[in-house]
Amino acid sequence: MTNVTKTNQRARQYSFFDAWWQHVRAAMAFSLKRLWFNPLSTWITLAAIAIALSLPAGLHLFLKNLQTLTDDKRQVPTVSLFLKQSVTAQQAEDRAALLSELNDIDKVVFVSKEDALKKFGEITGFGETLETLDDNPLPHVLVVTPNLTMTGEMDAQIRKLVRQLKNYPEVDSVQADIEWVQRLHAIILIAQRILYVVSALLLLTVLLVVGNTIRLDIENRKEEIDVTRFIGATRAYIRRPFIFGGLWYGLFGGIISLVIVHFALLFLLPPINRLSTLYGSHFTLSGLDFKMTFLILLISSLLGIVGAWLAVGQHLRKTEVVL
Amino acid sequence: MIEFTNVSKQYPTGQLALYNVNFAMQPGEMVFLTGHSGAGKSTLLKLIAMLERPSQGEIVVNGKAVNKLKNKHIPPFRRHIGMIFQNHHLLLDRSVFENVALPLKITGMHHRDIRRRVQAALDKVSLLNKQKENPMMLSVGEQQRVGIARAVVNKPTIILADEPTGNLDPELAQDIMYTFQQFNELGATVLIASHDQTLIESMNKRIIVLQKINP
Ligand SMILES: Nc1ncnc2c1ncn2[C@@H]1O[C@H](COP(=O)(O)OP(=O)(O)O)[C@@H](O)[C@H]1O
Ligand SMILES: [Mg+2]
Repeated sequence: MTNVTKTNQRARQYSFFDAWWQHVRAAMAFSLKRLWFNPLSTWITLAAIAIALSLPAGLHLFLKNLQTLTDDKRQVPTVSLFLKQSVTAQQAEDRAALLSELNDIDKVVFVSKEDALKKFGEITGFGETLETLDDNPLPHVLVVTPNLTMTGEMDAQIRKLVRQLKNYPEVDSVQADIEWVQRLHAIILIAQRILYVVSALLLLTVLLVVGNTIRLDIENRKEEIDVTRFIGATRAYIRRPFIFGGLWYGLFGGIISLVIVHFALLFLLPPINRLSTLYGSHFTLSGLDFKMTFLILLISSLLGIVGAWLAVGQHLRKTEVVL
Repeated sequence: MIEFTNVSKQYPTGQLALYNVNFAMQPGEMVFLTGHSGAGKSTLLKLIAMLERPSQGEIVVNGKAVNKLKNKHIPPFRRHIGMIFQNHHLLLDRSVFENVALPLKITGMHHRDIRRRVQAALDKVSLLNKQKENPMMLSVGEQQRVGIARAVVNKPTIILADEPTGNLDPELAQDIMYTFQQFNELGATVLIASHDQTLIESMNKRIIVLQKINP
């Protein structure tokens, strides 16, 4: 019996935290090693997780970029009046002065055809070519900023104004910038909903993939689990390496998805930049910022943990030790 | 040390494995449990280690009524018991050392203490030179001794063995029994289930016989 008392004293030398930390370290190292135990299935699982994660991440990025495209214009919707070629600069300026008196209109800016041509030349770099033209093909333009009341539908107000402006004899055509912005805005709203649905489905996929992988792992290690149980392992001890396994799947899957999104971005960047210079815009695709990167890794890690937890919990509830 | 009072065990299948069992073991005692196949020897050992719960009666181990033990108290309770089975139940994906170290790792013991204790346990079963090998590479007798080292590495107060010599030839079987006797002499209470009548009788210890019940 002397043996026994000695055992107890020894055991007491280890503080609760010491023991816990030993366990956590061992479980982390062990679960990491397990990933290389069957590299092919690990990579397949990681790829499935990464692809499932990169779709919502990429979609999010796409929407974010669309939004920056519309944001600055949504604040100041303007209506451009393209005047007939026969209208002189003086007539145009008079009309501008009259229009700015109207209640519905906040401000009118007159852009002469000469200014417009010069600006066009600057933006496109075709300045010299344009100088060889005999006639300036551009019309005078009045850029009208409507005075929108806070109440009422912005869309309807602007449409009414456009109809009204079209009736002036000098006006050739009217283009409301607001229209495409509004349409884009509506499309973004729909796309956002789609993003939510797709994200929910794909995150569920990640949960199932991790859960199933861990479940298979548990099946393969039934013997080990039973043995550790009959020599006195707690449920927490048995659960721990599997939970870390889930964490690694989630985290590494998340990292790979970030790499995928990054390369997709690099792939898209040159054509997008060419397109935006063609439109005289400085728009360029922006990548995932720090916050998003962190969020994606956090979500993927959590999904891994939860998936593993569900799988292990189910197993531990189901069985006592069978030997 | 171990006391059964009116213990019965009926499995969920309806099979009555034990009926009205009464016996007691003193601390430091070494006892053999015998009876025909199906008499309930394995069931009795499982009840002591709380691998199964009794359907009726009271089981007291180390002064505790274990049939009333809550689930969360079972793991620490099992650490005071070393169990050995006919099939060694070693983990084949790791070395002999790792197998024997497992019960200590579960308690969160430090690396250097684990090394010392594992080597001491392997030394007692004369397998110190095989610590780095995979259990698969060992003979059946050696595998059984690794199982014993794993059971005793924690210095348990109680050692339970279920047909530990079932797969061994007589000479090796005798060897294993002497190993158990040594642990008994060091203070452990030892209960061994076996139906090898000649071997048991040669050991000169108390023998408990389980009668098979006819339903
Ligand atoms: N898990 C189980 N479920 C149902 N019946 C069992 C189970 N384990 C053992 N039994 C039955 O209980 C009886 C006693 O079995 P056991 O304790 O293994 O006897 P022994 O070890 O003496 O051969 C046998 O009839 C056996 O079929
Ligand atoms: Mg048996």
